[in-house]
Amino acid sequence: MKVLVAVKRVIDYNVKVRVKPDNSGVDLANVKMAMNPFCEIAVEEAVRLKEKGVATEIVVVSIGPKACQEQIRTALALGADRGIHIETDAEVQSLEAAKLLKAVVDKEEPKLVILGKQSIDTDNNQTGQMLAALAGMGQGTFASEVVVDGDKVNVTREVDGGLMTVALNLPAVVTTDLRLNEPRYASLPNIMKAKKKPLDTTTPADLGVDVAVRLTTLKVEAPATRQAGIKVADVAELVDKLKNEAKVI
Amino acid sequence: MTRDPIGLALSAMNRLAGAPWLDRFGLRNTVERAAYHGTRSGFKTLSVANREFKRVKDLLPRQKLPNRAPKDLFDLNLDEDQQLIVDSLKRLAMDALRPAAAKADEEGVMPEDVRAAAAELGLALYAVPEAFGGVAEHLSPVTSVLIAEQLAWGDMGLATALLAPFSVAQAITQWGTAEQQNRYLPAFCEEQPPVATIAIDEPHPLFDPDKLQTTATRTEHGYTLSGAKNGVVLAAEADLFLIAANLRGEGPRIFIVERGTAGLSCGAEPTMGLRPAQLARLQLDNVHVGADALLGGDDFDYQSFIDRGALLRCGLALGSAQAVLDYVIPYCNDREAFGEPISHRQSVAFMISNMAIEIDAMRMLTWRAASRAEAGLSFHREACLAKLLCNEKAAEVGTNGVQLLGGHGFVKEHPVERWYRDLRSVATQFGGTHA
Repeated sequence: MKVLVAVKRVIDYNVKVRVKPDNSGVDLANVKMAMNPFCEIAVEEAVRLKEKGVATEIVVVSIGPKACQEQIRTALALGADRGIHIETDAEVQSLEAAKLLKAVVDKEEPKLVILGKQSIDTDNNQTGQMLAALAGMGQGTFASEVVVDGDKVNVTREVDGGLMTVALNLPAVVTTDLRLNEPRYASLPNIMKAKKKPLDTTTPADLGVDVAVRLTTLKVEAPATRQAGIKVADVAELVDKLKNEAKVI
Repeated sequence: MTRDPIGLALSAMNRLAGAPWLDRFGLRNTVERAAYHGTRSGFKTLSVANREFKRVKDLLPRQKLPNRAPKDLFDLNLDEDQQLIVDSLKRLAMDALRPAAAKADEEGVMPEDVRAAAAELGLALYAVPEAFGGVAEHLSPVTSVLIAEQLAWGDMGLATALLAPFSVAQAITQWGTAEQQNRYLPAFCEEQPPVATIAIDEPHPLFDPDKLQTTATRTEHGYTLSGAKNGVVLAAEADLFLIAANLRGEGPRIFIVERGTAGLSCGAEPTMGLRPAQLARLQLDNVHVGADALLGGDDFDYQSFIDRGALLRCGLALGSAQAVLDYVIPYCNDREAFGEPISHRQSVAFMISNMAIEIDAMRMLTWRAASRAEAGLSFHREACLAKLLCNEKAAEVGTNGVQLLGGHGFVKEHPVERWYRDLRSVATQFGGTHA
């Protein structure tokens, strides 16, 4: 069974992001980039499926500038077999990403596509769902357990009220939640081997997808900074302030 | 040659501890304990290794890793592999080394799960060429320094212990004869790699690695080694030692000595820092080794061996110093005095920026020396500069780290006191400043 995993290059989750002075976006200059944590979980799940003998080949795909190859290499070092880089310097939004992934799905014909449920930079949480719709596949989103059973996959989903398990016919799209697994880190031998694994580069034009921007970002602002607190002299003053100023009691 | 009483006692006990009937009657542990407590200086004989390094008949040819093509004059960008390796090791440092560090320091032990995590990461494999099951493709002093820094960022004591076998495997890869490589290198690629260590320092004033008092004398069948070593990482549990000795008439050389060789004993020497590395003394009392124990042939380069070790220790110093810096910055931004964060005080802010400058300077000098080594250029001078700066500044960063935390710097609730103790080792151990 072939598994396709999509990974995105985002700002490292440890980095404290700063908004650009002109409010046009987030400052990316000299900022450490890394693989989106949910995508890491997706790669790990695919590697575990391969270790169980369920998956036979793991293809990892990423969309973005040349530097995205770092994230593809990371995925290869974690155990993926082959990489596809869709190179573009343009801003790629969810729908365009889904269309590009659809084109890769048509070409590669994977049985299972695993994506992160969302990327930590734009928090859209829609690429997986859009891809499932475009490709006409079933979707199991927010997965906390993925069990492949013959030509079906059972996906346990984390929903508000608890856990919901859905059975999907393969091929299907699964998006990962935080508790699906704990990703390993790449071993030194695998890092060395990753270099020798194939990585193909293509472009949106080659795949026949128009990535023109449909949404424009008007303004990006940092969250309001917390105001300094005050000290009260005694309980009476506290109660008075809660009653008359904050009006909470 | 006359022997002193301890030497005689040790040699008698070595014979005793080596006797096969001890195992038969289940007496080995009792006798080893007796041997350990029986001598005034607390030396213990090293039992025969559980691990056997087999001589190989059908030898693979000697592997020699090529130098890397020199990069641009001063290209400080990590390549893709290096970045991946740094990322992976950082996570190992964060997830495995940091949580284990305080207990390992207190108890002075090397936790098995840390060792297992490093083995799972394939640390030793990076030192061994592909032909013997490893993954090394070329000489990699720069990557080795990066590895040392990341591990020591987690904990310098644990990192020192983890890097000892790594250094041994690297040395055998770089200089070992075909016979030595075939015999020892595959073991480092097994699931449980051997514990291996290097013994160079000697317990006498003005120690100089070029003027060793440990001697090696050629005999009919090989060599006889005699002398004393100190500061030997993991000496008590090592399966394999690389021991520096002055080969009479030929100058300093390295000898491969296996655990359990008669005449080799070790004595505990509890230290201020690097406690998980369990530095110990090693006594060599007429240790007979075969002719094939001499590491390498005519192309063996003792100076380069010493300098490579020094660079690895610069990497260790860097990692621990960086850990201090990464700790004091948020601390000084959060800690308030006089109604504002203490980092608003210039005396604090300047101290922290000086730390950052010194650490980067240490890193630049170390990388420069390592990149010259990697390109096959002379690097002795550069290594000495890096070592001297690291010796001086590592301790300074440690002491300033403690000072910035004030009262908190002195208590064990914060890790900085431990890092201070570890950083004091840089200028005092492994040759110290004068060597």
